[in-house]
Amino acid sequence: MSHRILIIDDEDDIREVAALSLETVAGWEVAVASSGAQGIVRAAEYNPDAILLDVMMPGMDGPTTFRELRKNPITSRIPVLLLTAKVQSTDQRRFADLGVEAILFKPFDPLTLPNQIAGVLGWN
Amino acid sequence: MDSNSRANEVPAVSAMLDELWLKFRPQIEERLSVLQEAAAALAQGNLPPELREEAHNTAHKLAGSLGTFGLDQGTALAREAENLLAPESTLDEPTARRLLAIAASISVTILDRR
Repeated sequence: MSHRILIIDDEDDIREVAALSLETVAGWEVAVASSGAQGIVRAAEYNPDAILLDVMMPGMDGPTTFRELRKNPITSRIPVLLLTAKVQSTDQRRFADLGVEAILFKPFDPLTLPNQIAGVLGWN
Repeated sequence: MDSNSRANEVPAVSAMLDELWLKFRPQIEERLSVLQEAAAALAQGNLPPELREEAHNTAHKLAGSLGTFGLDQGTALAREAENLLAPESTLDEPTARRLLAIAASISVTILDRR
């Protein structure tokens, strides 16, 4: 079954590898945004089944973007998975407290990323 | 996403990942140059706070990117650099030597990836 995913990440290499993974390995539809502000607009337009959201972005960071998505009735119920290269447990606890669906870590394996997402969201 | 179709896709995905590596390698090398510049400045006892912060953020990005392109050792080295450059870390001569060594090792790792 095909799913629609929105990737929000300011790093274009990570964005393109994640898109390659989700489109080619899983066959899902992907939309991308390169900032939190752009992602909020894109999420409302695209109505994805899930959002993959980078934590550390200039301007509006991932946690702030997540809170804004939750404020908007159109995007408030879309599952959000945070993507981060932060490995310290204090950071992880802080992110988990936000109420996101899951925290995924960079680097990720492009061949297994879709399974990770599908597993978290019960799409298997 | 059954195992047969996935197995067939692996070579195609690897080839596409290689293409993306070629596309983004200059950007990754540019990030490495920031790390090299900071390490050299610290070795000379003159690392400006702005360059330290930039190098810290750059090391964080390298940690995320390198492993995604299959360079796990590069990620481990970049994480070490990120920790060394963290605001709470003490910057001294051994740190400068280690940062220079890390930058050199990451450079080799990048060169070695086909």
